[in-house]
Amino acid sequence: MTTTDTARGPVIAGLGITETGKVYGRSAADFAADAVRRAAEDAGLALSDLDGLLTSSGVSTGVGLSLQSQLGLRDLRLLSEMQAYGSTAGGMVQYAAMAVRAGMAEAVACVFADAPLKEKTSTGAAYTGAGLGTHGWAGLTAAAGMMSATPRYAVAARRHMDTFGTTSEQLAHIAVAQRAWAGMNPRAQFRDPITVEDHQASRLIAEPLHLLDCCLVSNGGVAVIVTTAERAAHLRRPPVHVLGWAQAHPGYPMHRGSDFGLVSGAAQAGPEALKMAGVGIDDVDVAELYDCYTFTVLLTLEDYGFCAKGEGGAFAASGALAPGGSLPVNTGGGQLSSYYMWGMTPLSEAVIQARGEAGERQVPRHDVVLVSGNGGCFDHHSTLVLSPHPHA
Amino acid sequence: MTLPVVHRDVATELFFDATARGELLIRRCADCGAHAAPQSDACPDCRSTEATWVPAAGTATVVSWTVAHSRAGAAETASALLELTEGPWLYAPLHGLRDGERPWAGMPVTVAFERPDGGETLPVFHPAV
Repeated sequence: MTTTDTARGPVIAGLGITETGKVYGRSAADFAADAVRRAAEDAGLALSDLDGLLTSSGVSTGVGLSLQSQLGLRDLRLLSEMQAYGSTAGGMVQYAAMAVRAGMAEAVACVFADAPLKEKTSTGAAYTGAGLGTHGWAGLTAAAGMMSATPRYAVAARRHMDTFGTTSEQLAHIAVAQRAWAGMNPRAQFRDPITVEDHQASRLIAEPLHLLDCCLVSNGGVAVIVTTAERAAHLRRPPVHVLGWAQAHPGYPMHRGSDFGLVSGAAQAGPEALKMAGVGIDDVDVAELYDCYTFTVLLTLEDYGFCAKGEGGAFAASGALAPGGSLPVNTGGGQLSSYYMWGMTPLSEAVIQARGEAGERQVPRHDVVLVSGNGGCFDHHSTLVLSPHPHA
Repeated sequence: MTLPVVHRDVATELFFDATARGELLIRRCADCGAHAAPQSDACPDCRSTEATWVPAAGTATVVSWTVAHSRAGAAETASALLELTEGPWLYAPLHGLRDGERPWAGMPVTVAFERPDGGETLPVFHPAV
């Protein structure tokens, strides 16, 4: 690597997390602006130091190009709204990393915000029907019972169970482990411990998925500032280096032979991102994995190669993911228990762990932090490899 | 559980004309002859965009499935990801299961058609007899 490569190596230099959860009376755009201000402040940058802005909306939409004027940002050199659902956060960091490395921008804010929760409306109502219409092919799919993400993930999980013998109790261990981590995260919305029995007794939403297999829903916003190692050296916080990245979008055919439910884009993107970072899967100290459902974590673990294909259930049930286990996973509680900010949930916890600022839940080794994003129903995947060190 | 109402759009006109007369249409590639799901724009084998509509046999097997539950905990609707005999996959409601009966991967099913008031005729599948 040349000196210039090292100097312009991309880092995350700022993290901003707003209040999250049942926080009412604020729009998604307001949360986004708040998150960017917090991230810039965290980095020790003025808003006027930002020359790039990438935005990402959730279901409530409205986090777009107008955020520039809302924040009063002038003369930006990079501005775009991005959308690959739960893989967007990783995608924004990748785009920003390439921009700063190329010299196209110096300091890029990447922000996600959403405000789907309304007072006196259930969490489920906030998401049911999102994105699916009553017309044409989308209407036909909705009429088949696929009117939200949950039944589609249920069908995927069932296929994995039928193929590999994965059980609901094994999925429960993922929820239980993440809740144990959440108990040590002051930001987590759900912190009371749960057991496998609690999971099994929680109501079925769409078989085989129980309530405790599903993520929560939050209002709020999260932003990170991506800049160069050179610039970050003079900033307030310890830089988190972005050493490797990749995306994968499988494009599952709706046809005989499709491996939907059995293999995700993590199988392609994980090894590519690790190779870019110059590390192997055994070097990963902590993994922050997209967890819209417990099953998403299980499939991602297999596809990254933390265990053999089909053995994700046994791996989870071994206790490996929980505090004290061999592979700390979703150490802030994840979207199942802490806050649901799509790909920003695993990314924000990864930054906190890489900095060594996770307090009671800090993992002892955090030299290599693997982060996943997942969008659609395993349709879109992003991987990031982060480290407090400039080289693996 | 009654089926939701679905309306046609330009892309689904021929498909819903066919369901109304009791046919399930799928795509057949004009170049290589491979079958594709009705909503496919390109052949899954050769990527050709030249395709014709052909009626499917109406037989399929269950690839995977789910049963949605009400807030009160009752099992309500069964849905399946199906593999038509011709190869394409389709999400469809699964009717005709006995109380407490669950589908299984590989379960043979056959198509039937139901028309909710005010909407298009929809394909639903039943266990093959």
